[in-house]
Amino acid sequence: MRENTIKKILMILSMIIIPFVILVPVLWMIILSFTGEPYFLSDISSIDLTLEGYKYVFFNETLGYWGYLKNSLIVATFISIVVPIISSFAGYSISRLNFPGKKILPLVILAISMFPPISIVGSIFEAFANLGILNTHIALILPGIAWALPFGLWVNISYFSQIPIDLDKVALVDGTSRIKILFKIILPLAAPGIFATALLVFIGSFNELLFAILLTSTRAAQTIPVGISTFQGSYGEIIWGPLMAASTLTTLPLIIVTLYFQKYIIGGLTRGSVKG
Amino acid sequence: MLNLRKYNKREVITGYSFIFPLAVILILFILIPVIMAFINSLYQDVSFLGEKKFIGFRNYIQLLQSGKIFSSLRFTIFFSIVSICFEIIIGMMIALFLNEGFKLRAWYRALILLPWAIPSSVTGKLWLILYDYQFGLWNFLLSGIGIDAINWLGTPTSAFWAIIFANIWKAIPFVVLLLLAGLQAIPVDLYYQAKIDGSSLLKRFTHITLPLLLPVMLVVMLFRTIDSIRVFDLIYILTKGGPGGSTDALSYLGYSYFGQSNYGYGSAISVIIFLITFAISVLYVYVVSRLNAGKKIRGGK
Repeated sequence: MRENTIKKILMILSMIIIPFVILVPVLWMIILSFTGEPYFLSDISSIDLTLEGYKYVFFNETLGYWGYLKNSLIVATFISIVVPIISSFAGYSISRLNFPGKKILPLVILAISMFPPISIVGSIFEAFANLGILNTHIALILPGIAWALPFGLWVNISYFSQIPIDLDKVALVDGTSRIKILFKIILPLAAPGIFATALLVFIGSFNELLFAILLTSTRAAQTIPVGISTFQGSYGEIIWGPLMAASTLTTLPLIIVTLYFQKYIIGGLTRGSVKG
Repeated sequence: MLNLRKYNKREVITGYSFIFPLAVILILFILIPVIMAFINSLYQDVSFLGEKKFIGFRNYIQLLQSGKIFSSLRFTIFFSIVSICFEIIIGMMIALFLNEGFKLRAWYRALILLPWAIPSSVTGKLWLILYDYQFGLWNFLLSGIGIDAINWLGTPTSAFWAIIFANIWKAIPFVVLLLLAGLQAIPVDLYYQAKIDGSSLLKRFTHITLPLLLPVMLVVMLFRTIDSIRVFDLIYILTKGGPGGSTDALSYLGYSYFGQSNYGYGSAISVIIFLITFAISVLYVYVVSRLNAGKKIRGGK
């Protein structure tokens, strides 16, 4: 019975400590977004609620929040449409067709996905500079697609291999082409997996910082993460109210999407790494 | 079962053509750039548009001589090991907690996801103000329990820990989710049987949970290793490699050379990080294929 008491104490402790550690930073971001400066900590009574931060983010043109947001949305949307399509074809091929190299290929691609971004970004910069496409959306979309493909492939292989292969065989006997099988039979059945891939790829590319910081240098293509990390007032100081307002505005939709679709997110994350 | 030696010609052609787009993109935007980075690392160039001079391995030699690469390597390795140990221990505790049946479990699992959903640029800025010496919440809370304010990002040791704490906070959802998925795959009957046999809570954990969870833990550790070795976002925002270069992670060092248009050094660092990561991913692929082979012997999952 002592064992059960210990267990109960541990459970109650976890129930209190976990929300505290997870939530406090998030709540702090939201509080600061409504208070302007964090200076009230030295004297709580001086706390002053204001919407100035949000006003600044919404209307200040030198900040240009909406421009960053637009760039992020364009880049992330493109990547999250292209990646599921290309990785569906490859996933179908690897999970259902028989050809030399089919066993080793997913492993090679897995190894490629582990390459550190910094080891390719220099050469990409050079190539894109020569092509004259630095500071464009395409400069972020192309490496973004390459970066997300291995993950998409692994999630798709995992979902596809759960669909009975007899479905393909029956369709083949009827004379259906492979492309038709993929689009008419496999993709509808694997729709949750495709959706999970698109969602995870979207969030991942929306948040990407290293490529964005090296491959863009003007407002034309800079994304939200760049905007947030370079955010400053006219004297180069950090203005915490607006910064936290912009952070909250950016983060809340992501949090809502994540919580609403958590089944897909959890499924995609675990399949992309464990089961594959 | 198909005979592996007999391939259907049409199937092979379809198979390759379906993979073709993926292969082209990976080759163009990942493989070739890595090879180019190696070639660039053999040149001395002031700026990428300027003239290039072939200097062999002199970039590497100079990097090694400057000693900067060693302090960077030491930081990155210590950072990775300490982060991952904490992540696994804390992640395991939370996963065990979430694996119990209790009323608010679904809420807690959703809560755990939060840090994952926040962009690392936001996480960085947020922790920057949380760590502020004068106006940071952490120092405020510490003073509430009578501990002197810590200059979190001001000294090498505290900056090391500050980055680690923020990094753990950010990574814990991933670790917990994977470990939880692993825990849920363990048959409950095993625990019942052990309970009937009178083995204690701790014994059940060390004799059933740990060994059965080991494959998942390995996967988590390797994914986290790969991710920690390439740490960039948090460093870029929290410390910029400071104070005094003490948190110059490899990726950040490479970035700062690129930022100074020193593409020779930048590429040389890129190649070094690549080789380290590559060695780890080969190890990982080996482990995964071994585990898969093991699965087959045991007759599927």
